[in-house]
Amino acid sequence: MKTTVGIVVSAIVVAALAALPWYGNSVLVQFGISVLLLATLAQGWNIIGGFTGYASFGNSVFYGLGAYGVAIAMVQLKLPFWVGMLLGLGLAVVFAALLGLAVLRLRGHYFAIATLGLAFIMTAIVSNLEIAGRNIGLVLPLLKSDFLFYELALALLVLATLTVFWLSRSRFGLGLIAIRENEEGAAVMGVNTTLYKVLAFMLSAAFSGLAGGIYAYYITFIDPVGVFDVSLNVKMIIMAVFGGPGSVLGPVVGAFVLSTISEVLATKVTSFASMFFGVVIVIAVVFMPRGLADFAERFRRLRFRYFAENVRTHRL
Amino acid sequence: MSLLAQVLVSGVLLGGLYALMALGLALVWGVLNIVNLSHGALIMLGAYVTYFLFTGAHLDPFIALPITAVVLFVVGYVIERGILNYVIRGPMFNTLLITFGIEVVLTYLAQLAFSADFRAINPSYAGANFALAGVTIPLVQVVVFAVAIGLTIAMWLFLLHTRIGRGIRASAQNLVAARLYGVDPKRIYALTFGLGAALAGVTGGLYGTVSQINPYIGGPLTAKSFAIAIIGGLDNPLGVIVGGLVLGVVESLTALYFGSTYRDVASFGVLLLVLILRPKGLLGRTT
Repeated sequence: MKTTVGIVVSAIVVAALAALPWYGNSVLVQFGISVLLLATLAQGWNIIGGFTGYASFGNSVFYGLGAYGVAIAMVQLKLPFWVGMLLGLGLAVVFAALLGLAVLRLRGHYFAIATLGLAFIMTAIVSNLEIAGRNIGLVLPLLKSDFLFYELALALLVLATLTVFWLSRSRFGLGLIAIRENEEGAAVMGVNTTLYKVLAFMLSAAFSGLAGGIYAYYITFIDPVGVFDVSLNVKMIIMAVFGGPGSVLGPVVGAFVLSTISEVLATKVTSFASMFFGVVIVIAVVFMPRGLADFAERFRRLRFRYFAENVRTHRL
Repeated sequence: MSLLAQVLVSGVLLGGLYALMALGLALVWGVLNIVNLSHGALIMLGAYVTYFLFTGAHLDPFIALPITAVVLFVVGYVIERGILNYVIRGPMFNTLLITFGIEVVLTYLAQLAFSADFRAINPSYAGANFALAGVTIPLVQVVVFAVAIGLTIAMWLFLLHTRIGRGIRASAQNLVAARLYGVDPKRIYALTFGLGAALAGVTGGLYGTVSQINPYIGGPLTAKSFAIAIIGGLDNPLGVIVGGLVLGVVESLTALYFGSTYRDVASFGVLLLVLILRPKGLLGRTT
């Protein structure tokens, strides 16, 4: 019963979002594209960070590879957009597999920092590659169809969310959660931890890469500093953690809520907007450290004691 | 040959500052188990404090350092007691995120208060240098190197031989046992974070005399501090000296042979190699 209601509500929401280009103005559609891409990134991060418990700072690298896949295919090789998407996807997934085998042996902060270091390396390497336009970047052919990009981004987000939904109830997904909770325990229970972690990393990379590909063609100009941006990775983490890491809809809701607030602030009080993310992070982490999903679940019972309870469990 | 010698010398001199830069981060990480992403922002604040003591109160930057250290110690102490203390037992993402949030806020406030202009701390002796065996050595860099290495070693001795130092090390090793022996973890944690901030502040003051400062220098410095802390290993406080020197020399050599655009590839490449081959650091115990 509960699932049926959930499916119906989700279908209505998706239909309403898909119809947005017909009733919304162009500003709203453009805002929609960036929110949908961010939500996809947060959802992709959710697979490796939320489910598997590995705080990846390398997802912006996959995003950048996806973007450069499309750019190189279209500008240098004169291939159509969809071939570029496949190239970007391939680059991101293969890179995630190779990288995963090396760095997924590291735990906790060490994994986070190894992937962070990688982001800096990739920026520098791509800035020196002739085929990638060095540090000047590449200019893609212009396609003025926000409608197409919007629907593509929405389709990708739906695909990512369905994948995460499947994870939440499949053997594979439960294996990932087991790794997050207790890696040795999972290994003892027969989970092939290396394989599972690398697969999760590749899956996460696939969505980041595809989002990067759409972004490249939409924005028509990419450069290394712009698409391998670590702060984009931090944004994904904030959105996923704010929404509820390891939940199915949390990262999407987190992305929508935070982007909307940030957009409204940017138009109302411009100077404060850049500090907004910092303040939100500090407040959210102190008072609702398990995200919106947990808040929705427990606030009804605990009321305002919910906040006090959170502080009490996590303080020294 | 003399070019190589020159590059090596400047790499080593830079490495001393790198060691001090990473020490505060490594200390906080080792004791509180928090990777402080606002470390670079604290370095930036320290640089501005020293800058204003120099331009406003006409204090020599090296004389101003103790004042900078005290100011930043207070800032760090307040941040720990006021914010970090409430999330310290939460999941790792949260401590990473909250320090990142603090970084964003500090950077924004600095930009508001000091504007985004580049500034440099230029005492009258800034251009002085001397020649040694055909290598030109800037005086300021030598003093910076000496202060940085001296402070790193002093910090090491402080941790080894004082009552508070022993409390800090005990908390890092086993918090429960430390509590049973009468260590107050709240106080030790705040003190440690304050010390980390003070070290960041001094690094900032020194950094301002050898390079330019603006409100955005923090992020890359945090990343570099990580790399140094990991290359050296967290087990031994002197590891940062090894890490700092390695990174300083590798960066200088890369800039010489491959061009300065590859500098970050080299430094983070070394970081990745060390993480994969010796996750406990060059000085760390192998498992």
